Amino acid sequence: MSYNNVQARLSVFSTASQSSLDYIPSVGTPPPSGGRQSITPIPKASGSKNIYDRPLNKTRNAEVSMAAYTFLFSEVIQYTQKRVHGIGDLEKRLGLFGYRIGTRALELMVWRSEGGSKNPKRETRLLPVLYVVHTQLWKAIFGKTADAIEKSVENDDEYMIIDNDPPITRYISIPKEMSQLSCSALTAGIVEALLDGLGFPARVTAHSVPKEGFPFRTTILIKLDRSAMEREEALK
Amino acid sequence: MSYHLFIINPFDTPLYSLTFLSTRPVSGPTSTLASQLPSWSASAFGGTVAALSGATSVKGSGPLGPGQGKEDRHVVMMIANASLDVVEDVQRTNGSMYLKAIDRFNEWTVSAFITPGNMKFILLHEPKNDEGIRLFFMEVWENYVKLQLSPFHNYRTPIRSPVFDARIKASAKRYL
Repeated sequence: MSYNNVQARLSVFSTASQSSLDYIPSVGTPPPSGGRQSITPIPKASGSKNIYDRPLNKTRNAEVSMAAYTFLFSEVIQYTQKRVHGIGDLEKRLGLFGYRIGTRALELMVWRSEGGSKNPKRETRLLPVLYVVHTQLWKAIFGKTADAIEKSVENDDEYMIIDNDPPITRYISIPKEMSQLSCSALTAGIVEALLDGLGFPARVTAHSVPKEGFPFRTTILIKLDRSAMEREEALK
Repeated sequence: MSYHLFIINPFDTPLYSLTFLSTRPVSGPTSTLASQLPSWSASAFGGTVAALSGATSVKGSGPLGPGQGKEDRHVVMMIANASLDVVEDVQRTNGSMYLKAIDRFNEWTVSAFITPGNMKFILLHEPKNDEGIRLFFMEVWENYVKLQLSPFHNYRTPIRSPVFDARIKASAKRYL
């Protein structure tokens, strides 16, 4: 069984050459020309340093290698796919992963922007919160801002955040029989965690909406809970 | 003078608590606070609390003995939990994370800090020490952010990290 697993993993890198195990490290290393570097040095096991001794701002502008990230995410999807029945379930699981990332990202992001201030603030209104998602969150996670925020014409409680080319799904090709699937469900989970934390419970889903020139265009659809809408009404 | 810190998650479950006995000399504000309060406290809840335990006896000067602190424990927890109502009312409209002196209960003043992820730090204190408490909360927040970055931490599980505990105690010693 373990042998089969090894084969399955190798195929992630390449289907051409699977004969030699020595092949793995050379492919796993990100190309030097990319300019991006993996940031976090692996802490020494023997060292007395723990996470509380590391300054939180040290990795503020750090970037993670795209190759490493893509590999990790492909493993996440494979792992999840083996444990679910159907696409809806798969998206839900990815969303849960995202939720766990989102709670952490929210605290860290706000700490970095407000931690030095004398009177740190939380956002309490809906539009600024959506704007935070659109710029700050996207910058923190993807290194760029999202492309648009739209308000649904039909429903008052629906907002959309649109990314023309989400980096996390750039190298994922969805098979025909699973055309419903959008792996940006992970992003949806992150957004949901952020809204939840700031007190705007919502149901967030991801949908691929290809458009001319943007085959990977993705919409993160936010359907706010009634309580969030009522609260926003009351604050007006 | 004693301080009580509670970290309460969005589902109102306490994850961490700390009782800290400050050795710092207390100046004027405490006595004025104590003298302001009895009129209020005697009216509504004073009797109840006195019946519950000797919480009112804390009013006397001098640091609280450790044994006495234990007896008051459930009352202190009740006050902290009761203040959540006020905190939740205010947090919808007030964007500040640090809510100073948001609630009062007899001689206790309650200050709160709400993190963006809706985790609440509740501090019960007697003397007025706004700036010290603010700095203390900021350090608790920083340590909390570091704690929750751990992939093994879950916002429903109690905080048992000894390093976290030591860090919070060190901050308390410095600022309270």
